[in-house]
Amino acid sequence: MVGDEPKLKALFLAGLAGDEASHRAFLREIAGGLRAYFRGRLRHALDDVEDLVQETLIAVHTRRDSYDPSYPVTAWVYAIGRYRMIDMIRRKKRRGISIALEDAPEVGEAPEADAAIAKRDLNKLLETLPQKQREAIRLVKLEGVSVKEAADALAISESDVKISAHRGLKALTALIRGKEGP
Amino acid sequence: MNTDDLIEALARDPAPAETPKHGERATFTVLLGTAAALVLLLLFWGVRPDIVNKMPIVIAKAGFSAFLAAAAAPLLLRLARPGRPVGWRTGLLGLALLGGVIAASVALFATPAAERMAAWTGGGFPWCLLIIPTLAAPIAAGLMWLLRSMAPTQLELTGAAIGGVAGGLGAMVYALYCPVDSAAFVATWYSVAIGLCAVVGALIGGRILRW
Repeated sequence: MVGDEPKLKALFLAGLAGDEASHRAFLREIAGGLRAYFRGRLRHALDDVEDLVQETLIAVHTRRDSYDPSYPVTAWVYAIGRYRMIDMIRRKKRRGISIALEDAPEVGEAPEADAAIAKRDLNKLLETLPQKQREAIRLVKLEGVSVKEAADALAISESDVKISAHRGLKALTALIRGKEGP
Repeated sequence: MNTDDLIEALARDPAPAETPKHGERATFTVLLGTAAALVLLLLFWGVRPDIVNKMPIVIAKAGFSAFLAAAAAPLLLRLARPGRPVGWRTGLLGLALLGGVIAASVALFATPAAERMAAWTGGGFPWCLLIIPTLAAPIAAGLMWLLRSMAPTQLELTGAAIGGVAGGLGAMVYALYCPVDSAAFVATWYSVAIGLCAVVGALIGGRILRW
């Protein structure tokens, strides 16, 4: 997202000048970046991430006159996002709910944090598959061992490995589609 | 609400309603707050009776206070909008207060040992510790209100900067009354009082600057 600074700034300034489509595109772009940013920091409170994204979008929108055009628009967005996150943690703390803030990488490294989340989610999804499919996928697709080695390791035939991996992947795809909605 | 729906709703209203005049509002707030502090001073303490004869020293004391307020102002202006590095501005406030402490030490050592204690305490309780924050209160209240309508994201630091500016201006008004003229007294207790305003500002700011 930080790399998109010139594009985001252009979109935002066009939005400020009254262009609806640019403003919409800007909000969409930063929503994705903010989601990754919050996910990287609130690994124990992932349920709050979408609320925070929305709160930040509203704050960015209602306080858009606070942007100083001589500084990066991404820095402005993340400063507001960070503020909303700290505010949420404090609000919850007052109600006796404590949320650990991850020592996450700083802005700009958010994609890696996103990849870590994706990996964690994948492991979670894998857990839901039958053991044979899960092991086949893990060995062949994730660890990259040969079908023959996998068959030896799992004490099943090579064709069984291929079929299990294939069925498992299909099941995973269905799971992910179901999770994200149509 | 779905995030995409929210974005649709927000996007229908792209341009801000009006361009805000932050500079004018800030000037107005500071002037109004300082006027209120002056009214408080006149109501409860008045000006020192010998103010006409002592004008140079009154101006020096007020000037020292205004200098401390001015040292906090860049930090406050910077914190009003998100996403801008604070840089040297926190250091400037710290340096100005440190300058006050150094000035106090120099003035103390320049005073004959026998008179040192009296010069430092002003011959009693340093009332400015209570009066300066009191005079700063209306200025700080105005600035808190102003900053809430902007977008500070570092609330404690913003509160401290508000305390510094308001404390400095409060001390400037207080100089019209303050009967103690020793440099050691002014440099010490004015600095301490303004520092106190900054601490209180940080504590209060963390709560009431939320938006």
